[in-house]
Amino acid sequence: MASPSKDGRPGIGWALPAVVFFALFAVVPLVLVAVLSFTTWSGLGSPEFAGFDNWVTLFHDPVMIKSLWLSVLLTALGVVVQTPLSILLGVWAAGPQRNRAVLSAVFFVPLLLSATAVSVLWRALLEPNFGIPSQATWLFGDGNLLGDRTGAIAVLVLVSTWQFTPLHALIYQGAARAIPAVLYQAAEIDGAGRVRQFFHITLPQLRNAIITSVILMVVGGLTTFDTVLILTQGGPGTDTTITAYYMYQKAFKGFEFGAGAAIALLLVVVATAVSLVVVRVSGYDKMAGTKEGM
Amino acid sequence: MKTRARFHRAVAGGAALVLGLGLAACGGGGSSSGDSDEFHVLVYGDAGNRVEKRLVATFNKTSEVKAVLDTVPGADYQQKLQTVINTPQAPDVFFNWGGGSIQPFVEADLLLPLDDMMKKEPGLKSNFLPSVFETAQVDGKSYGIPMRGTQPVLLFNNKKVLADAGVEAPRTWDELLAAVKTLKGKDVTPIALGGGDKWTTMMWFEYLYDRVAGPELFKKALAGEKDVWDGADSRKALDMLRELIDAGAFGSNYDSVKFTDGSSPALLASGKAAFELMGSWAYSTQREADPDFARNDLGYSNFPAVEGGKGDAANLVGNTNNFYSVRKSTEHADAIAEFLKLMYSDEFVEEQLAIGNLPTTTNTDKFLDAADNPEYLKYQYDLVDKAPAFQLSWDQAYPPKNMTPIYVAVQQFFNGQLDPDGFIKAMQALTTV
Amino acid sequence: MTKRRPNYLAGVGVTLWLFVVALPLYVMLGAGVQSRADYGASGPLGFPDHFTLSNYVDSFSNGFGRYFVNTLIVTASVVAIVVLLVPPLAFAIVRNRGRSTSGVFRLFLLGLAIPAQAVIVPMFYVISEAGLYDNLIGVILPTAAFCMPVCVLILTGTMRDITDDLFEAMAIDGADARRVFFKLVVPLSKSGLSTVVVFAALQAWNGFLFPLVLTQSEETKVITLGLYNFQTQYGVDIPGLLAAVVLSTVPVLLVYLFARRALVQGLMGVGGK
Repeated sequence: MASPSKDGRPGIGWALPAVVFFALFAVVPLVLVAVLSFTTWSGLGSPEFAGFDNWVTLFHDPVMIKSLWLSVLLTALGVVVQTPLSILLGVWAAGPQRNRAVLSAVFFVPLLLSATAVSVLWRALLEPNFGIPSQATWLFGDGNLLGDRTGAIAVLVLVSTWQFTPLHALIYQGAARAIPAVLYQAAEIDGAGRVRQFFHITLPQLRNAIITSVILMVVGGLTTFDTVLILTQGGPGTDTTITAYYMYQKAFKGFEFGAGAAIALLLVVVATAVSLVVVRVSGYDKMAGTKEGM
Repeated sequence: MKTRARFHRAVAGGAALVLGLGLAACGGGGSSSGDSDEFHVLVYGDAGNRVEKRLVATFNKTSEVKAVLDTVPGADYQQKLQTVINTPQAPDVFFNWGGGSIQPFVEADLLLPLDDMMKKEPGLKSNFLPSVFETAQVDGKSYGIPMRGTQPVLLFNNKKVLADAGVEAPRTWDELLAAVKTLKGKDVTPIALGGGDKWTTMMWFEYLYDRVAGPELFKKALAGEKDVWDGADSRKALDMLRELIDAGAFGSNYDSVKFTDGSSPALLASGKAAFELMGSWAYSTQREADPDFARNDLGYSNFPAVEGGKGDAANLVGNTNNFYSVRKSTEHADAIAEFLKLMYSDEFVEEQLAIGNLPTTTNTDKFLDAADNPEYLKYQYDLVDKAPAFQLSWDQAYPPKNMTPIYVAVQQFFNGQLDPDGFIKAMQALTTV
Repeated sequence: MTKRRPNYLAGVGVTLWLFVVALPLYVMLGAGVQSRADYGASGPLGFPDHFTLSNYVDSFSNGFGRYFVNTLIVTASVVAIVVLLVPPLAFAIVRNRGRSTSGVFRLFLLGLAIPAQAVIVPMFYVISEAGLYDNLIGVILPTAAFCMPVCVLILTGTMRDITDDLFEAMAIDGADARRVFFKLVVPLSKSGLSTVVVFAALQAWNGFLFPLVLTQSEETKVITLGLYNFQTQYGVDIPGLLAAVVLSTVPVLLVYLFARRALVQGLMGVGGK
C-alpha cells in the first residue's frame, strides 16, 4: 500500500485497489456502452458502426421524448411526496417517545423486500375486483388504477414512497438527533410553539440531510425500473414508459442494443449531471475541506 | 455496546471465512462449453420442466453422450436466449415458439435445418400431426421438432352464470353481442379480460381478424404486404371490436386486471364474469385455483363465427406448439436426433397429458381416455386435428422486436387512445424483415 | 428538557403511516399460509381460514435449500469484498490531501448514477470473456462493484465525523497511515462499517439482474431467480410466491434485528451534519 507518511495521512495507494476493481466492473462496461451507442447490434453477429444514427433517431422518437417527461414527472413527484413525509417521520423518530423504537423497526421492513416482492404485493392489494378498491368503491370508483394514466403514475409514486421512505426517514432521523438541544430550549424560552420551532430550527438544521436525500431520490427516480417492469410494463399504452424502462425495452425486448445503449448513456449523463449540480451548489463535496480547516 | 462490538467482530471474521469458502466452492462450477461428451438443452423454466427432466434422465440412461438440462425462469427466456445464442455458452438444443422467435437466428445462420435429420429418421416427421410443423419452418426449411403441446385459444364460460341469465355459449358474433346485452342487465361483467397482460387483449384481434378476413390477411401482413391492414376487412374487424367494447362487454377496469396473477380467472370462477377468451391452459389454471369450479361449471367453446366473414369458424389461433431447435455448430447432431425421437415416445405423451399439455403426436389419441380430463382433451385434440388453419399468436409470429409495439397498439385501441387509423398505422410500422 | 404535552397530530400521522406500511405486510404473511384456492376465493384482504404450511414446504422441495446456500455464498463474498476495499478507499478520500482523491470521490458519485441494467450487455461479455459465466464469482464481482458507490458515500460520511484533534494527536505520536487507519479510523467507523455490511448484504441478497443474465444452470441459481420461477408463462402462484418471499426475507430480517442500531446510526451519517 502507500508509503508511510509522517503526518499519518494515507497515500493515493490506499484508494487504488477499490478504484481498479470499480473501474474494471463498472467503468469499463460503461465505456463499452458508450461505444455500442454508435452501432447497430441485435445481439447476433457483430455490432456495426452506425455513426450518430441512434442518437438522431432517439431525439425524433415521440415515445422517447414522452419517456423523458415521464421520468422527470415521476422523479419530481417522488421528491415532493417523499421529502415532507420522511422529514416528519424522521424528526418524529428522533424524539423521545417510548414506542418509537418498535414502530421505527416496523417502518423499516419495506426496505428489506426485493422489488419483485414489493410489486407483487401491491398488485394484489390494488386488484380492482378483489383488493382494496373493491372494498372502497366510494373512493376508487371502478378501481381502474393501473389501467389509467393518472392512476398508474399515482400507484408508482405510492409504491416507491412505501418502499423508500424508511431510508430517507432514517437519514433525517440521524440529522435531527444531531441538532443541539440548546437551540430548542432557547426557542422555548422565547415562547416559540412546536410549529415555529420546526420551521425555524429543525428544517434549517436539516439542510445537508435534505441535499443527500434529494440526490438519492433524483438518481433513484431517474433510474428505477423494477417497479415499472413488474407493475405496469410501461402501460397503459406508453403512459408509464419512463426512460429507464424504455431503454430496457429497446435493448432486451426489441433487441436494438445500439439504441438501448444510447438511452442508457443519456440516462447516466443526466443523472450524473443532476447529482453533480446538486453537490456543487450545496458544497457537499467540500465538506471535508471546511471541516479540516487547513 | 458490548453486544455491538461482538457483532462487528463476528461480521468481519465470518465475512473473511465465507469469502474463502465461497471462492473455493465457486471454482468447481466450470463453464458449460468444452465438454465433448455432453450437449446442453435450454428450456423455458416453469412447471412443465418436470417432464423435461424425466426425459433427459431417460435419455441419459442409455446414451454415451449425456444431455444437460438448463432452465431460464419466466418471461426473460427470449432475451436470455438472444444474449447467449451466439456465444460459446449457447445451448445445443433449445425451446422456442417457432415463427418469429427463431427467424432472426435463422437469418444469422445459427440454426441447423432439420430436413436431413428427418430424412434419416423418418419417425421425426411421421409421428406428428402434419399441420404442426408449419410454424417452425422458415423459407421452406424445417427448424423445429414439436415438444410440450398445442394450446389453442378457446372461449371459456361459467355455465352457472350463463344458465342463470338464460344465455347459451354463442355460436355467432350476433349471439355474442346479444349475450353481452343480457348479461349486462344481470349486473355481470359479460367478459373477463386481464388487459394488464396485453397479450390477452391481443387474442380478440387475432380471432376477429381471422373470422372476418380469413387467415390470409395476417399471412400477407407478415410477409410484408402492409396495405392489407388498411383494407375493408381490417377496418370491419376493428369496427366490430369497437362495437363490442363500447357495449361494455369487458367492463371498465380490465386494464387493471391480469390473467397472470389469477385475477381474471377468479372473476370467471366467482361468477362476476361470464366469459373469458383464453389459451387452453386456462383449464389447468382454474383446476389449481378453484377445483370445484373447474369440475362442475367451467364451460368452453370455439370462438363464434362471423356471418359473411371469410374465415372458417373452425379456424384456431393460439400457440400451435413449442419446438426444439438445434444449433448449427453443435458437435452432437446424431445424439440430438436420438434425443428428439423421445418427443413422440409413449412416456413423453403420458407425462405431458398428466400435467395438462396436449401433445400433437399421432399416438396422443390412445392415451386421452386415461387422462383425468378426457372430455376436455378430446375436444381440443379434435379441434386441432380438424382446424383448416391454426394461426400462431401475433406477438410470436412477428420477430421479437415487434412485441411491445403490438401490445401498445392493442391496448391503446381498446382504451380509445387509438382510433382505427391509428391502429392501422401502428401495425404498418411493424418490421417484418 | 421541559415536559411537553403529547403531540396528538404526530400520533395520528404515525398511526396512519403504520397502517400503510403494515397492510401489505399483512397480505404477505396472510397469503403465504393459504392454499391457492382459498386465496383465489377470498382475495388478498381475506383472513386465512384454513391455515396451511404447504406453501413453505413446497418452497423447500423446489430446490430452495440450494438457492439459499448459493445466495449465502454470493452475499458473504460481496460483503467481504466491500469490507476489504471500501474502508481504505474512504480513508484516502477523507484524509489524503492530493487533488486526485476528490476526482476519485467524483468517480464513485458518478457510479451512483449508473443503473445496473444500463451496462448489463457489456457486462455479459466481460464476464464470459473472463470465463466466469454461469459461475457464482461472475455474479459476485459486478454485484460488489455496483454497491460500492453508496458504501463509499456512507463511509466517507462516517469518517468525516472523526475530529481533527484525534488525527493530530496520532500524527504527533509519529503514527503512519496504517497505524492511524487501524487504531483510529476503523474503530471509530464501526457504525458506518456495519451500515455498509448490511447495505451490501441487502443488495447481494436481493440482487436479481446480474444472476439472471450471468448464470443459467440449477447449480448456480440464487433465491431471487427461484422466486421468479413462481412466475410462469401463464400465471403466478401468489400464495406460493409470497411464502417464498417471506422465507427469503427471514435472514435479512435477522441481520437487521441484530444490527439495527448500528445500521441506523451509520445511515444517519449519510445525512451529514
